[in-house]
Amino acid sequence: MKVDRRLTSFEMFTLTSILIGIKLTDTTPSLFSQKAQNAFWYIPLLAFICILPAFLVLLYLLYKHNAKHFVHLFELLLGQGLGKSLAFIIFILSFVMIALDSRNYVEQIKIIYFQRSSILIIFALFGGVCIFGAIRGIEVVGYTTRIFWPFIRISFFILAALIFESVVWQRIFPIFGAGVPVILEEGVSKGSLFLDFFLLTMAFSAFRKPSQFIKGGLIGLIFSIAEITFFFFLYTTVFDYNSIEKISFPFHEVTQYVNLGDFFTNIETFFMVFWLLATFLRFILLLYLITWLFGAIFNIDEFELLLLPMGFFLMVIGLLPDNAVVTELIYRNKLLNIITPVIALVPFLLLLIHFFKRKKDLT
Amino acid sequence: MLKKKTQTKESLNTKLLINLDILKERFSFGLNNDFSIRLITAKFNKHELCLAYYASLVNSDKIEQTIIQPLLEQGGDSLFDVVTAESITKIKELEELDDHINNGKVVLIIDGESFGHSIDVAQFQHRDISQSENESVVRGPKESFTESLHVNISLIRKQIRNRELITEVQKVGKRSKQDVQLMYLNSIVNDQLLDEIRSKLTQLDVDNVQNIELLEQFIEERPYSIFPTILYTERPDNAATYIDKGHVVLLMDSSAACLILPITFWAFIHNAEDRYARFLYGNFTRLIRFIALFFTSMISALYVALSNFHSEMIPPDLLFAVTAARERVPFPLIIEVLIMEIAFELIREAGIRIPNPLGPTIGIVGALILGQAAVEANIISPIIVIVSALSGLTSFAISDPSFNFTVRITRFIFIISAGFFGMFSLMIAFTLWFMYGASLKSFGVPYFAPLSPTYKSNSDTYFRKAIKKEKWRPGYLLPKDLQSSRTFERGKTK
Repeated sequence: MKVDRRLTSFEMFTLTSILIGIKLTDTTPSLFSQKAQNAFWYIPLLAFICILPAFLVLLYLLYKHNAKHFVHLFELLLGQGLGKSLAFIIFILSFVMIALDSRNYVEQIKIIYFQRSSILIIFALFGGVCIFGAIRGIEVVGYTTRIFWPFIRISFFILAALIFESVVWQRIFPIFGAGVPVILEEGVSKGSLFLDFFLLTMAFSAFRKPSQFIKGGLIGLIFSIAEITFFFFLYTTVFDYNSIEKISFPFHEVTQYVNLGDFFTNIETFFMVFWLLATFLRFILLLYLITWLFGAIFNIDEFELLLLPMGFFLMVIGLLPDNAVVTELIYRNKLLNIITPVIALVPFLLLLIHFFKRKKDLT
Repeated sequence: MLKKKTQTKESLNTKLLINLDILKERFSFGLNNDFSIRLITAKFNKHELCLAYYASLVNSDKIEQTIIQPLLEQGGDSLFDVVTAESITKIKELEELDDHINNGKVVLIIDGESFGHSIDVAQFQHRDISQSENESVVRGPKESFTESLHVNISLIRKQIRNRELITEVQKVGKRSKQDVQLMYLNSIVNDQLLDEIRSKLTQLDVDNVQNIELLEQFIEERPYSIFPTILYTERPDNAATYIDKGHVVLLMDSSAACLILPITFWAFIHNAEDRYARFLYGNFTRLIRFIALFFTSMISALYVALSNFHSEMIPPDLLFAVTAARERVPFPLIIEVLIMEIAFELIREAGIRIPNPLGPTIGIVGALILGQAAVEANIISPIIVIVSALSGLTSFAISDPSFNFTVRITRFIFIISAGFFGMFSLMIAFTLWFMYGASLKSFGVPYFAPLSPTYKSNSDTYFRKAIKKEKWRPGYLLPKDLQSSRTFERGKTK
């Protein structure tokens, strides 16, 4: 029986939410606080405002040209050679980004829960779940995300509710932290925080209707940004600005901080379970998308066979940096700054060509 | 193939003597003890005729009263005026003859005619209708299927009085031809689905499929999968509910159950009683059942993970109690848990196979030896007894026999994976296990529909809606008529 098994807008919403929203749990806040100090909590919002037009343009073009994914769109507008080269640049950038990101998450697992274990084994297990999860295909990833999403969000909500009593809201002052120019600069240059959404447009054709992708994606983006801002706000107000830049993983710090009544005083493992689920799903999805991108660039139809080597290379690159601090503050920071102009400007370039082409077609 | 074709063309002769020889040869008359041939001279046309049947499959009283007696005593114009049995069909080919005799019919061949008459007097022996044992309910019909096709169909028809309820027959098996009955509502079920099931059945190239339990394994898509993809139920009311929604039910003789397909994950958790009980009561049971599902698959693994790797999560007082209890036990914790879980499975398996009079003894022996004595001998700690008793007992809340196995096997996977890296590896195992489930399809229907992917339906997943709000048939079955209730449309009551 031919049942339509493609994804719908709710799955898109949850996929976006897992991809973007989960960033509130990693080292992103401590990265931002290095420069912006206690004003870091609204930097994601600034970054989002800067990058939103580019995304809207990209979605508009995908919809208008009825493209399968963004590589297809590049080819339609820029021609095969140029389109594929541009896509390849994006591939290289996001590949390194995902590798560093996965190292970041593996470090979290190691430092917080398994101090004495070897990073190689944790990384290998992590890579294993990503590969074997991704091999099930984008639809299954979508279903799973949709089903787990409520539980993950409820756990985050419980955490927020439990930490609320420790909030000292005066700590957001001075509201501009290290100064308006620094904040603006950080905000503008960190638009690449949303690179994952750019990659997600690879799955444009996996949905029942393109409009569902757009609707789910935009609502998901807004939801995630609200969530990130809210949690960053909590971090600022729970830890003061002096300590925030020294805390690498504020999310886990918060989970260790809260207790449920007098009897359950250490409930971080409860939150860790849901966080792990979300993390697995995020990297399963990222691995699938990056392999899909690779397959689209080199015209490989059965790209799912490449998941294993791709996952392996991600792991190898992720293992290269010496430690978490270097990964985060040097490599990831620089890479974020490099990616921002690419993903912010490319859609506008495409838009220009789109109008130019249309004019040409009309004449 | 060629030989087969010529075989099917073989048909009866006009001479009775030749026909008798054919019959005797085909059914090994004499050697085959219960195959009977009776010769009579009919009063109405003075011809000789023979009756051939299996004595063990027919109702002998009925043969005597409706066939032999009238033939000997009554006159008339044709056979149809004389024989009083309710159904008579003409048969010509030998293949048909085999079929009819094997299905408990009497074949009557008159001298001078090149065809026979098959008269239905079948009486297959079967058990009476009894209470459902594996899927018992407090509120709702108690009767269950029995090992007779006719009785089972009547049990379903009793609940759906609709001329569109079709009982279509398909033959399976090359040597022993068994009937498989497809039951569905013609005006609702998806045609493509029906074709798919039909072609699956006709493509079966096996000598004999005895019953529905074997048929399930022949037609399922993934024989090695840990999840079942076809629902097996012994309750006619359950079958009727699913037929109403647009599913297809398969029935066979000699099975006190039916197969329902396609099916989703939720059907294995749901129980017929969830709908018979009122909204709140039914959903409360569901909640309990989901907690039971969590406990039975996870609690032992969680115990291993928490006490081995995340002991800070256990509150100090409790942790002291656990450590004190474990102080004298020599085994690592995971071995201890595995010993107890395997012991529980052993008792369970032995309990099913044990002769009935010994039944109660095994419970006492199991509880005494494995509980008390093992603790006293310092083989296991008392906490483990509690944990594995909890995980074992809660597994009985999953009433579906197939899914029960899924959960029990899963428990061991989880326990072992929790032994490697605690929560981290447990979550890895869980994610992969779940994603494997999500990737399954039952006759094209995604396993976790309608939760994800979503379809128009009553969204009867974790919890059910009030009966009045149930307006739709499940959209993932692509039924011909999606709406099932129009009484309580928004804003108006008809």
